[in-house]
Amino acid sequence: MKQWLGMPVVGALLLSACVTINVYFPAAEAKAAAREFVEKVIDQADSTQIKDSSGGGMAMQTRHLDFGSSSFDPWMLLGIGSAQAQSAPDISIKTPAIQAIQSRMEARFSGSLRSGFDSGALGFTEDGLISVRDASKLELRDRVAMNAAVADDNRDRKAVYREVSVANGHPEWESQIRNVFAKQWVDSARGGWWYQSGGAWKQK
Amino acid sequence: MSRPILPVHLLLALLVCGSLFAPAQARVVQARIAKITTPVASLGQVRVKLDWPDGGAVGTLDLWAARVDAPDLGYGYRDLHWQCRLQHAERDGWRCDGLLRSGRAAPMQLAVQLDAAATNASLSQGSARIALDRDAASPDLTGFELTKVPIQWAQALLTKAWPEARLTSGELDGRLLIDAGSGQPLRISGPLAVSGLGLETADASTAGEHLGGRFAIDYRTTPAVSLITVDGELHGGEFLTGNTYVALPASAIGLRIDALKHAGAGWELPRIAWHDGTALIAEGSAVFGVDASLDKLDIDIQSADMTPLRERYLSGWLGLFGLADVGLKGAMELKVQVRDGVLTQADAALHGVNLGDPDERFVFNGLQGDVRYSAGAPVRSELHWISGKLYGLDFDASTLPFESDGGLLKFREDAVVPVMGGRMTFRDLVIRPPQGEAGADIRFALLLDDIDFGRVSKALGLPAFQGRLSGTIPTAHYANERVEFDGGLSMQLFDGRVAFSSLALERPFGSAPSLSADIALDDLDLLRLTEVLDFGRITGRVDGHINGLRLVDWMPVAFDARFVTDNQAGSKQRISQRAVQNISSVGDASFMSSLQGKLIGLFDDFGYRRIGIACKLVNQVCEMSGLQDSHGSQAGNSFTIVEGAGIPSLTVVGFNRKVDWPTLVERLSAVGSGEVKPVVE
Repeated sequence: MKQWLGMPVVGALLLSACVTINVYFPAAEAKAAAREFVEKVIDQADSTQIKDSSGGGMAMQTRHLDFGSSSFDPWMLLGIGSAQAQSAPDISIKTPAIQAIQSRMEARFSGSLRSGFDSGALGFTEDGLISVRDASKLELRDRVAMNAAVADDNRDRKAVYREVSVANGHPEWESQIRNVFAKQWVDSARGGWWYQSGGAWKQK
Repeated sequence: MSRPILPVHLLLALLVCGSLFAPAQARVVQARIAKITTPVASLGQVRVKLDWPDGGAVGTLDLWAARVDAPDLGYGYRDLHWQCRLQHAERDGWRCDGLLRSGRAAPMQLAVQLDAAATNASLSQGSARIALDRDAASPDLTGFELTKVPIQWAQALLTKAWPEARLTSGELDGRLLIDAGSGQPLRISGPLAVSGLGLETADASTAGEHLGGRFAIDYRTTPAVSLITVDGELHGGEFLTGNTYVALPASAIGLRIDALKHAGAGWELPRIAWHDGTALIAEGSAVFGVDASLDKLDIDIQSADMTPLRERYLSGWLGLFGLADVGLKGAMELKVQVRDGVLTQADAALHGVNLGDPDERFVFNGLQGDVRYSAGAPVRSELHWISGKLYGLDFDASTLPFESDGGLLKFREDAVVPVMGGRMTFRDLVIRPPQGEAGADIRFALLLDDIDFGRVSKALGLPAFQGRLSGTIPTAHYANERVEFDGGLSMQLFDGRVAFSSLALERPFGSAPSLSADIALDDLDLLRLTEVLDFGRITGRVDGHINGLRLVDWMPVAFDARFVTDNQAGSKQRISQRAVQNISSVGDASFMSSLQGKLIGLFDDFGYRRIGIACKLVNQVCEMSGLQDSHGSQAGNSFTIVEGAGIPSLTVVGFNRKVDWPTLVERLSAVGSGEVKPVVE
């Protein structure tokens, strides 16, 4: 009898031993990161100021300014600032590679893509890329350059989705990251721009 | 929009009507005719009214037609009205000149003169003019003289041949002869010059602008079959079809196209010839399906001077692959065969071709030989180059022995490429070209033999590491812009051994190329290492690893690295004062010395028992640690980097576990360039 009573306890122990820890996709953090990225690319002026969460050069500067204060640390002379710890589930888009791509995309967006979206020639696709949806809106000569810009931008986009997931230690999140971004591009699109939804083009 | 082909039909109507009215003496005559049919056109619900004042020399003719249709030419009009001043002309003829209106379109001037021997008519609007003449002796032949005729007037004719296309601008000049003899095909032929032509298809996949040229046209059509021959020259302009963008040069391009179309089938082009000087000569044939898909294509291309190709023909495609500025020189021939929309054979022969990316991501010089691809029976080919460069790494002359069958391109034997003093051997290479949605897929084995890492370091701008790199990658696989390498590479470096494994390269020529690897270091001579890095002298041996290294755009974004000295009997373990300072700066550490700190400056070097430093880079933050089981780590966040030995005994302890990576890199490069001034309290 006692043996039988013990069973649930043993079972529970066994079960708890078998529990695997799943890392869930941090959807909210990913959305925040995507929003920050996308807004900056689409229009830097429109986006709210982006917090610099890592130490970096600024930290170093501040420490130098604090030089005369009571908490003098000789190792500041060597210029090493301690970095702030990143809070646990965060999606970081702060790596230099991602930021380099971001500024390239930003330049490309203001340089050529924006006019394509304004004229209705371009649209955001459901898989987080962009596409020429109506070439007739473009002059013939511009069409070639626009095709190339779209191809370049899509290469950058794919690289961003991949690198964001890898930089955050979860390469397997790539498709989820891409979905979050795909939604964000549409959410951040200005009125009149086109996007793909359920295979059909819609105007925002 | 006003339409021009009318004169023929109207004239025919007039001929009929003229014979009715000429003798009449009444002031006003009217007639209604239900339908007039001619070989080219039919007129429906025709009404004619002639108003001729008694004894007057001039009358007024009004002609209405509810419908005018020329089905073979694709034209149809509604509600036409022509009013003209009718008067006698020489040779017992008549002449009538007046405005022609169709619906609400701008009116046109139509003048007709006819007598027993000939009919002449001219239709004009502004400077545009179509003149028609026909001889009574050959009533089936009608001549047209076109002067500055807006291209839009030919829209209906084009729609017959190419329903999706819309003409947007341009002018036509020429002299066409229409032969509408009964029992034979309608034939339009003659010289035609076009200037400023613009056209666009409904889906915008094909478009042209500013196209000009002179051609001899020959068009024959019956309900069963249509034939067109266009032979002449193109003079400038640009067009885009799909991703192919052609910017025509100012020099003339010879063009000949023979085309035929059976009812219910697609167009066949039994002959296509394109002669663009030495840049491109293409000759071939093509067959399209009903849906305009390419069913069959045979084309021979020659380029004696490839330099203009990029700008004239390839910019659209190169732009798509991010290679818009790639340089191309030399000569080549290309033979392409497509069946059922699939590339079945491609033979390229290159003659002294230089191919280079302006960023020097890749450069090939002196490409010579051929590359042959076959979707069926095996074919062999051999491509040779004199020299090249890949991401700054030079390689020397080599030959690629190709073989192709069943849609795969392979090496039939090892290809040895001399690289940086050593050899790189490609074995069992198989390339599957991109097909439909699937991108290219490449598999090969790679053998590196005795590559001079000193030269590699120099080319890549690394510190002057000296070593020979060798290794075997049993399988490398490229797909989806990612190259994965099984196996690993190893090299002798600083008297020790460095092994690379889990190598992968993403987007090798794309956006932000990314390299990942695990690196293991064994028994490296610290003295030689620190000398090369100009770090300050440390003697002894070091082991270590850099796991999960990921470089994006050749900058590290993640790794887990640890370096620990390897105590070996008999080896001297000393660390110089400068090295101590540098380690401290890198490790954000503090001295823990049994001596007063300021005494450190009195000694050139110190004995050490162990040195260990580790950095795990995540999110731009390096998480530092030191010797794992050190006594110095009792202070919570601190960790021991250098554990001293002997007298004076020196211990270096780090305090900040989290260090900002960009700052650390800044410090490291300052160390390398000797800019760090030791600060000793």
